[in-house]
Amino acid sequence: MISNIMTMVRKELIDAARDKRSVMAGLYYAIGTPLMMCGMFMLLIGQMTSPEDLNIKIENSDNAPDLVKYLSSKGITHGDSQSTNDKGDQLDVKDIRLVISDDYAAQMAKGLSAEITLIADNSNEKLQKSIRRLERNLQTYSAEMGSLRLIARGIDPRVVQPIKVNVEDEATADSKGGVILGVATMTMIYAVFISGMNLAIDTSAGERERNSLALLLSHPVSTRNIVLAKVFSVTVFAMIGLLLTLIMSKISYAFVPWQELGFTVTISTEFILLMLLIGLPIALMAASLQLFVSFMAKSFKEAQSYLTLVLIVPMMLSMAASYNIAPDTLQWLPVSGQQQALIAFIKGREIPMLQLLLSSVTTLIIAIGLTLGMEKSLKSEKIVFGL
Amino acid sequence: MIKVCDLSKKIGDVQALNNLSFEAKDGQITGLLGPNGAGKTTCLRTVFGLLQADKGHAEIDGIDVAKSPIEAKQKLGLFPDPFGLYERLTPREYVSYFAELNGLSRQEAKAATQKVLTQLHMDDIADRRCKGFSQGQRMKTALAQAIVHQPTNIILDEPTRGLDVMSTRVLRDLLKELKNQGHCVLFSSHVMQEVAALCDQVIVMAEGKVVAVGSPDELCQQTGKDSLEDAFIQLIGTDEGIAA
Repeated sequence: MISNIMTMVRKELIDAARDKRSVMAGLYYAIGTPLMMCGMFMLLIGQMTSPEDLNIKIENSDNAPDLVKYLSSKGITHGDSQSTNDKGDQLDVKDIRLVISDDYAAQMAKGLSAEITLIADNSNEKLQKSIRRLERNLQTYSAEMGSLRLIARGIDPRVVQPIKVNVEDEATADSKGGVILGVATMTMIYAVFISGMNLAIDTSAGERERNSLALLLSHPVSTRNIVLAKVFSVTVFAMIGLLLTLIMSKISYAFVPWQELGFTVTISTEFILLMLLIGLPIALMAASLQLFVSFMAKSFKEAQSYLTLVLIVPMMLSMAASYNIAPDTLQWLPVSGQQQALIAFIKGREIPMLQLLLSSVTTLIIAIGLTLGMEKSLKSEKIVFGL
Repeated sequence: MIKVCDLSKKIGDVQALNNLSFEAKDGQITGLLGPNGAGKTTCLRTVFGLLQADKGHAEIDGIDVAKSPIEAKQKLGLFPDPFGLYERLTPREYVSYFAELNGLSRQEAKAATQKVLTQLHMDDIADRRCKGFSQGQRMKTALAQAIVHQPTNIILDEPTRGLDVMSTRVLRDLLKELKNQGHCVLFSSHVMQEVAALCDQVIVMAEGKVVAVGSPDELCQQTGKDSLEDAFIQLIGTDEGIAA
């Protein structure tokens, strides 16, 4: 009995390895995704760590050299369309004008309100952030000047600051990296779903389309063994895809400047082993899910469209785990539970064993349920002959 | 020996098999002759346990297919319609795969495959992938698969469709050889010459029922016609769906 499962698995794997489409599907994902992620992380880290310089038009800047100096220390400088930066690239000058009044210096000297005018299109969404930033800085400058005036008159500036707001940013380096870690582990878990998908369709809906399913069922092999052999073959493919993804990630993530975030994502050997261990039940579930759906479909193409829809479910679970939506519920569910355990491991925290165990067991139960369902469906004439 | 008793099967609204009973004996070639849509393929699929009969049962060497499918199938070889080749495998891999599924060990399967490939003169294509094979090459591959494990009973569904004279001869000689070795050969067909030339027993089927049973000569005598074709038309009462 076991030997004929082995025979079928061997044949499925030889068959799949010669199918360019199945192999490519796995390879593209395994090689492409870590590279794409790597590029995306580099961009993201760049944006998170250094706010871009804001270039606006400052008119009459001679009247207020101190203000201009202050703004430029905050990264806000004057620029016109011909300006270039140190590298010689053209500057991106925002359409915001700051007009300093002619009597600015005089008013300032007298200790009165000096006027400056901020001219910008407030309805322009793209400018909103820059306008806020400029306003905030102008206010801070104004408050600072006010305090200095009070001190000059011998008054403690605190009298005009009844409330002092202290903002403490609790974001630690690793919580900032939470989303990044989530996305990184999500792409790895998803590898399990993508790598075996083509083989799953080929060996079910494809097998029926090529009329070899009926022939296979005519041989003295139990339906259960046929189903098990198919599930194992797809699982093997999925696991190979996962392993490749992990290796590619290990190599490519080394190039991401993690230190700028204050933490590093290193794909250690321990992590690879843990991921493979945790990935196995997920791969079994992915395989049985994909085969089950493909057997239900009438043709190869139909199976492809159904699967794209069905794969949104694990994707959603994984996404929700990445973005920390309802973490208390998700840690018990399949896919998201395992993913949270993986994130905990990368962050160097304790792995929530109970949750991991429960979500893995649920994953396996789903896989077994789908396999049994498939066994039953292969006894139905409708499924076998695609009636 | 293949025995079918009182088989009835409805597919959708069509009564595909209607109390069908017949017997195919060992050491004989039995032809299942009928017009298109007579229920030949449905009948053969039921014998293989792919379809479940609403009523009646099929036996292979005395084993009920519905009750012990695996034991029954071990005594069967199937040449299906359509062939169901794995295009990415070579005939050697394909044939040996099915030999292993029929309980042969890897070594035995390899040896049996080599034997059957030589028997069918397939050594030149044995290690080429099936993709792009001609109809004759496909037929031989499917045939090798059906007989590699030396089953006592061999079922062929429309075996000569699309074959040239040479391939048909190979097939005919093989069927005769199998018969002489004492195998039970059952094949479905709607081609008269083939049936007339090969069969010891002809079962004429129409609308899911057996219309007549006998050797080609007996059928001619029974209907008072000179050729099997005329006898056949007389028996089923129409000339619809017949290939001469």
